[in-house]
Amino acid sequence: MQALQFKQAVIRALHDAQLQTALDRGTTRGVNHRLAAMSATTDAAALRHQARLARERALNQLPALLEQLERNVLANGGHVLWARDGDELNRLVLELCQKHAVRRVVKGKSMVTEESELNHALAQAGIEVVESDLGEYIIQLAGERPSHIIAPMLHKTKEATAELLHRKLGMPLTDRPEEMVRFVRGVMRTKYLEADMGISGVNFAIAETGTIATVENEGNNRLSTSAPRVHVAVMGIEKVIATWEDYAILVQLLARSATGQQLSVYNNLMTGPRRPDEPDGPDHFYLIILDNGRGRIYQTEYAESLACIRCGACLNACPVYQNIGGHAYGWVYPGPIGSIITPLLRGLTQAPSLPFASSLCGACQSACPVEIAIPDMLLKLRRDLVQSAGNASLGWRLAMLLWRLGMTSPLLYRLGAALAGALTRLLAGRSGTIRQLPPPLNGWTYSRDFPAFSKGTFRERYRRRAQHAALRSHDHEPATSQRTRP
Amino acid sequence: MSLPHHNARAREEILSRLRRASPPFPSTTADSKPSLVVTRASPDEDWVQRFITEAERARAMVHRVSNDEEGRAVLRELLTRLGARRAITWDMAHIPLAGVDAVLEELGIERVQGDNVTVATADVGITGVDWALATTGTLVLHAGPGKPRMASLLPPYHLAILRAGRILPRLEDYFALQRAADLRPLRESSNVTLITGSSATSDIEQQPVRGAHGPLELHIVLLTP
Repeated sequence: MQALQFKQAVIRALHDAQLQTALDRGTTRGVNHRLAAMSATTDAAALRHQARLARERALNQLPALLEQLERNVLANGGHVLWARDGDELNRLVLELCQKHAVRRVVKGKSMVTEESELNHALAQAGIEVVESDLGEYIIQLAGERPSHIIAPMLHKTKEATAELLHRKLGMPLTDRPEEMVRFVRGVMRTKYLEADMGISGVNFAIAETGTIATVENEGNNRLSTSAPRVHVAVMGIEKVIATWEDYAILVQLLARSATGQQLSVYNNLMTGPRRPDEPDGPDHFYLIILDNGRGRIYQTEYAESLACIRCGACLNACPVYQNIGGHAYGWVYPGPIGSIITPLLRGLTQAPSLPFASSLCGACQSACPVEIAIPDMLLKLRRDLVQSAGNASLGWRLAMLLWRLGMTSPLLYRLGAALAGALTRLLAGRSGTIRQLPPPLNGWTYSRDFPAFSKGTFRERYRRRAQHAALRSHDHEPATSQRTRP
Repeated sequence: MSLPHHNARAREEILSRLRRASPPFPSTTADSKPSLVVTRASPDEDWVQRFITEAERARAMVHRVSNDEEGRAVLRELLTRLGARRAITWDMAHIPLAGVDAVLEELGIERVQGDNVTVATADVGITGVDWALATTGTLVLHAGPGKPRMASLLPPYHLAILRAGRILPRLEDYFALQRAADLRPLRESSNVTLITGSSATSDIEQQPVRGAHGPLELHIVLLTP
């Protein structure tokens, strides 16, 4: 997404009253839930550090763990496929649909399939695909994209949701979320039972037993992975972890950070297809491992971003996200972590505005359960952008040159300050404020006045204060020393 | 299924790129293992009481009974109140309360099994519990022969029957047990589910609503000697 598009998307978001209401209601609750859960944890700081260590160890051994995972999935009777990019992922899923004569698919929540736009590819091939997570289903009905990693319809108010369900499916209008949930539950039941294939994401893949773990509250993921005869799980390469002890830590931190629960309602651990003597479960299990730019990140100083466990805490905490919502970020992953991984996965020139969509206040890093240094990486990306492209305009580069000259020469700085002061006072006249600055500075006065600089500069004031202070402390000195005398 | 040729190439490309890179966190070694401090467990805590507190906090309904007779009475009362007509159940051998089949027969409740469409007609699911976790109020269910996944998933009401002896303090203790058994139980079951409360969603304005796609209500009949 280019700079202009991003700016326009932000302006649209800020003027969207429905979105602003939804964001206020949603992100505030999200932040409060997490804070309550973390403060109830015996030792939150130690827990986060343990989780961080688990992710670091996993990433250090990434290629070996992926091979171990593959060996164990095969030993459990499952299959493993590899996809270099989103197109390859979609092709593999379509091949599996063909092989197993699949006409209907139910999907549990999966962010990687959003990367590849799998739903679109399946629909093109004439395969019915239904999202089963309540939020994802409503988004799919609306023809929209998720705006939050774990709360996909955070941008929608309950009123807009009711209206949509009424218009598309004939639900009687209501403003009670309970009734909407009950209605969708009824619609989805038959979808699970009719589906030939269930597709799910993966929260953690445990290499030592070849198990994939999903985390959810609704039960849609369990149904999607248990009812159809084929289960296809899709994961990014970074999801693999070494041991069950690591899982125990990470899964508890994920729940606390994402929704403020001690554990999510359902933690589903899937180890291969149904065994011959088991009464239910899928007959076939496939794991597709997707790279899609992650291997490239792994080789750079941004490898730390692969430690992310997709809890969404940094989104809720971010003042920018709280105001513009997820869609303005333009791709699958919004918020602070999205501002890092979107440019990294898609290429810096594809999202040059995102590293700047942050005040660097650090709320994201404080919220992150695996202590990812998000502000640092945003700064580094800004540096990369400046270095990589001559994409700054001539005017901008000229302005920065003058700025550098002025800021490194005391003489020029003094002259500049005096000149700016005089100029603003001239423009302001008697009122002391400027209603409209001349271009290119008029953006500032678009919605507010600009106060003229005061007569004394900061440096002059500072010098006067310092002199005062020196005089006063000189006065007091004898008294003080007297008192300390024995 | 052997790997198709083009997929073997994808695999090699992905893995060889990762192998070429140096480990991103050189100061973290493989033996900097976690010491598991998620929740501390004090030895003198009453874990049965803690389990009840936490399970109820997660909106499960716990019915504590002190003998099998009371257990059957609670079960009879629950099934009547819920208006159950059809049940999907684990095999009686895996339910730690004698006489559940007799209660079902007495109330005229039909036991369904077979394909998903048949099983979906059940209005109640009855299961045992492999392990329970006190500090989170969690049930651990291992799928296996005679232990269908659907019993805890598809019907609107899930009734789980638990003996107090299966209550462990924490999730960490559960995995320590699995480790001691060489992880065999985890390898042998295609599906282990940790259940904490009943199905829920917060997708609409982050407001919690119970009963999304899984059971609307989770009842735990807890047998304490």
